[in-house]
Amino acid sequence: MYTFGIDIGSTTSKCVVLKDGTEIVSSSLFVGGIGTKSPFLAREEALKKAGITDKDISGTAATGYGRNRTEDADFNVSELSCHALGAHFIFPRVRTIIDIGGQDAKVISLSGDGKMRDFLMNDKCAAGTGRFLDVMAAILQVPVNEMEGMAQKAQKISQISSTCTVFAESEVISQLANGVEMPDLIAGICDSVAGRVASLAKRITIVPEVCMSGGVARNGGVRLAMERYLGTEIRFSEQAQLFGAIGAALYAFQKS
Amino acid sequence: MSVKEILGRFHEIAADPKAMKDKYLSEGREIVLVNYYTPEEIVHSMGAVPMGAWGADVKINEAKKYFPTFICSIVQSAVELGMKGEYAGAKAFIIPSLCDSLKVMGQNWKVAVPSIKFIPMTYPQNRKPEYGAQFTKAGYERVISELEELGLPRFSDEKLKASLSVYEEHNRVMNEVSELMASHPEISNQERSDVFKSAFFMLKEEHTALVKELINALKEQKPGTDKLKIMTSGIICDAPDILKILDENGLQIVCDDVCTETRQYRASYKEKATALDSLVSKFCDMDQDTLLYDADKTRIDYIVEKAKKTGAKGVLLLLTKFCDPEEFDAPMIRKACEKAGLSVNIIEIDRQMVNYEQARTSIETFRDLLNG
Ligand code: SF4
Repeated sequence: MYTFGIDIGSTTSKCVVLKDGTEIVSSSLFVGGIGTKSPFLAREEALKKAGITDKDISGTAATGYGRNRTEDADFNVSELSCHALGAHFIFPRVRTIIDIGGQDAKVISLSGDGKMRDFLMNDKCAAGTGRFLDVMAAILQVPVNEMEGMAQKAQKISQISSTCTVFAESEVISQLANGVEMPDLIAGICDSVAGRVASLAKRITIVPEVCMSGGVARNGGVRLAMERYLGTEIRFSEQAQLFGAIGAALYAFQKS
Repeated sequence: MSVKEILGRFHEIAADPKAMKDKYLSEGREIVLVNYYTPEEIVHSMGAVPMGAWGADVKINEAKKYFPTFICSIVQSAVELGMKGEYAGAKAFIIPSLCDSLKVMGQNWKVAVPSIKFIPMTYPQNRKPEYGAQFTKAGYERVISELEELGLPRFSDEKLKASLSVYEEHNRVMNEVSELMASHPEISNQERSDVFKSAFFMLKEEHTALVKELINALKEQKPGTDKLKIMTSGIICDAPDILKILDENGLQIVCDDVCTETRQYRASYKEKATALDSLVSKFCDMDQDTLLYDADKTRIDYIVEKAKKTGAKGVLLLLTKFCDPEEFDAPMIRKACEKAGLSVNIIEIDRQMVNYEQARTSIETFRDLLNG
């Protein structure tokens, strides 16, 4: 039996085809979220890669901020519930999930058997989200995906003391003007995102294993800083950005 | 009237307070604005209509002249409404000094809305000792003399005594209806909110009569199918979008610790030498409240016990943005609930919210969490 999970986020659309609730047959990721063609394109590609058509799908669940605007879905599930399912699928021993997405950050706590036992969201603030990294990358004219490599070259991590994205922007500009080295500055930016989210995470009891999900999880600079702040190893999977879609496909499997 | 018809009436009143204000004005009644724990019984006893002024979900433009950015939207939106003439015709606004924002609000009101007199009600920090009661009484006496100066009929302790009976009966029916609604899951969260909210815009004797009708009609009605029971806590819980999301997710508010809901009806009057002293005793006996000095933080245990007693499976904390008193308590509430096996969900709200998608995600996840 095939089930389908689609995660329509604020900046990307992700799809997963799951077989019998145990095997990821295909996945896709397109830049562009709600209100773009990406959800459609991601769906087409995931089906094509799996070599199946709509008719072969027994159930579809949608998650992410665009979930309620998806007509093809049988179920709409919150992204936190899906990230919990998806992360537990990939890391069966995971107890804490830190999800940093394009516009918000979430921390999910799981019980030993993978059930969600608590969660927290930061909302209405771009600091501590992917958006913060995007804004800073634009100022520094560095592609976001190169930030990790540059952060690793830092000699002395610079301090970004402002917690607000707007103020941090001018702080970064003045540090640049004062001759702070780019790698030090980028490491400081990653550190700032990690610090913000770590303080959110600390409101929930952090139980290892801890993993990160969402787009920002791909940034090793943020992951390393997060490990420092939380004093624990952070598990990472190349599929971190797909946890929501995997969880949605699993949900569809459980309900179909 | 049927339950639906009565609830429809509550909704009309809650959704259009201006119509109620205009109705009372057309009947020749004086209006005095009140909020939080203002001694509205005094206003009532002097023949005026105490009308709640808790702000509203409006875009704040004009009031920004008077406030810093980081202040709660309840005070900002109340001043905005005042400046836009929504409260036109009201004689005065009694503003209590119960938090820093309210203190600032009083001063700003004086300048921003000079046509409606600002009457301060200064409460003591320590309300339990005798000197706290005396301080409160002195505050009430000042309110009385300012109302008299405005031309309201002279204060009489006898008349206050009669008003206290009206308010005591209103307290009683509000507590009764609150419990009764908990056992009727077919009543939506919006309808429940309307019952509480409308109380601020009606004379209490009129509200009591309508609530009694609802109680009688509800007793005749078979309760609907069970929903997922939750408790709410916060200053306000009246945003239609939030209530709708709760309804859509099958969550039923069975009890609350909300300032504009049952917190209003927890304390009653003690027998004292004068009615004014009885009124003072009510304020001094109030407890478990963010706005009232509570060194032992008894509010935290109150929430846990209330939730357990009513069978609520989780507590939804509606944190008004930039409300320091409530924010200070939030971590303690979370910890205590966690210890007691109750799930907690914290949602930040304000009177200027236009996008509820994150709140929706949070509430949907909360429902999943409660469903295990
Ligand atoms: S108690 Fe909180 S919400 Fe109420 S006026 Fe004070 S700061 Fe604002």
